[in-house]
Amino acid sequence: MTGTRKLQPLIYFEEIVHLGNLALRFMLYVWSLEAGEWVPTLVILRLNRAALCVQWSPKENKFAVGSGAKTVCICYYEQENNWWVSKLIRKRHESSVTSVAWHPNNILLATTSTDGKCRVFSTFIKGVDTKDSKAASPAETKFGEQILQLDLSYSWAFGVKWSPTGNTLAYVGHSSMIYFVDDVGPSPLAQSVAFRDLPLRDVLFISEKMVIGVGYDSNPMVFASDDTGIWSFIRYIGEKKAASSNSSYSSQFSEAFGKFYGSQSKSATANDASESRGGVHDNCINSIVSLSKAGSPKVMRFSTSGLDGKIAIWDLENMEQELGNQV
Amino acid sequence: MKNLHELIMFQINLLEGLEKERSKMAGASEVVEADNAEAIIAMIETKSQKIESLLKHYKHIEALKTALDDSPPKTLDERCKSANWIVVHKVIMAIRDIDGMLNALGAEYYDILMKYLYRGLSTGDESTCDQCLMIHEKLTERAGLGCILRCLSDTTNTV
Repeated sequence: MTGTRKLQPLIYFEEIVHLGNLALRFMLYVWSLEAGEWVPTLVILRLNRAALCVQWSPKENKFAVGSGAKTVCICYYEQENNWWVSKLIRKRHESSVTSVAWHPNNILLATTSTDGKCRVFSTFIKGVDTKDSKAASPAETKFGEQILQLDLSYSWAFGVKWSPTGNTLAYVGHSSMIYFVDDVGPSPLAQSVAFRDLPLRDVLFISEKMVIGVGYDSNPMVFASDDTGIWSFIRYIGEKKAASSNSSYSSQFSEAFGKFYGSQSKSATANDASESRGGVHDNCINSIVSLSKAGSPKVMRFSTSGLDGKIAIWDLENMEQELGNQV
Repeated sequence: MKNLHELIMFQINLLEGLEKERSKMAGASEVVEADNAEAIIAMIETKSQKIESLLKHYKHIEALKTALDDSPPKTLDERCKSANWIVVHKVIMAIRDIDGMLNALGAEYYDILMKYLYRGLSTGDESTCDQCLMIHEKLTERAGLGCILRCLSDTTNTV
């Protein structure tokens, strides 16, 4: 892989054995497994800024790339010319596109951006997608048409994902908020959930009613919606948060707080022992990826990767009871 | 960070930067907002009188809630924000029992209180800063770092 600089996470699919991988030098390669060897194909994205995120569509015949050029590239394979063609969604985004997510219907794409907004677009491409006569409104069959814009966040937005049925959308804001939108469509139901700790970077739906968020706290958080449809924070996975506030900060924080509050604070000095959080990751968790079969309604295994360079695989089989049988 | 001084200067610079942005924006839409601003300032004055009487009766928690209610973050007018700040500042300085106050204050007030605390810290005035620091410590314990994040990252709804 010469000639690439910093790489973003790989997306891996077992069935079609193509890989998409990004380099921050504006290029993208699709890797195919041919006769036991991985062969890259360069895709011309026509970007003049870095590609930030990439996702295969559910049917794996298209993929979407969000970029720092305020555009989203939708790429599909043209059989006649044996190459990948890209179409750009140029409108609407006012800043870098940080994350993209495909709706199960293979046409709708949700994006989040550092302009704080989450948008849903149609990526209908003639010849690749078929019109679903019963469902689609005229807007949904026009490429690049914006279906919905959500202005819930006042700061950068990251990590958008659809629920398994595509009914609900979740994304996070840099202000330690997570947003849930049920019944995405003409009259959506939006909820903003503020939580105690550092912001999240990515989320994953492990079922229709449960979401796991990962971010700067290095410990995955579980959010769930109850019977009335209200979403809230449930718990951390792994080590439970201690009740006393002193042990909830690592030694680095308490030192800083000690200096900040100076002689006025007595509680800061009590927490001298250098404790790491004791969790799996030591630093910000950047992404969370499902390891269950694509399209399955429940995710029992997922992996997380973070700025500490670790990739961890989590298994929820044993945790079902603890998660309150809501999964 | 070298020390406490650097940390505070960093925060003050951050807030000054925000102030400059805000005043730029305020200049642009001042004409449009004039009527609305007058109404808001009148409302703040009535609030102020109410708060004076509450403070006289040692009803600090009520006073704080009244001061924080209807804080005008959506208006860009500097005068409204300053007027409300003066009112909130009066109450903050009058608080003696911080724990009790935070106990009684609902969680919905945490974010807006944190914003005013940072405004207080940016004044650089010694007694204001002392008081704000004390409240900041207790509030962070309760509300968590997320509260601070929400305050710092929200550049549209400022106080």
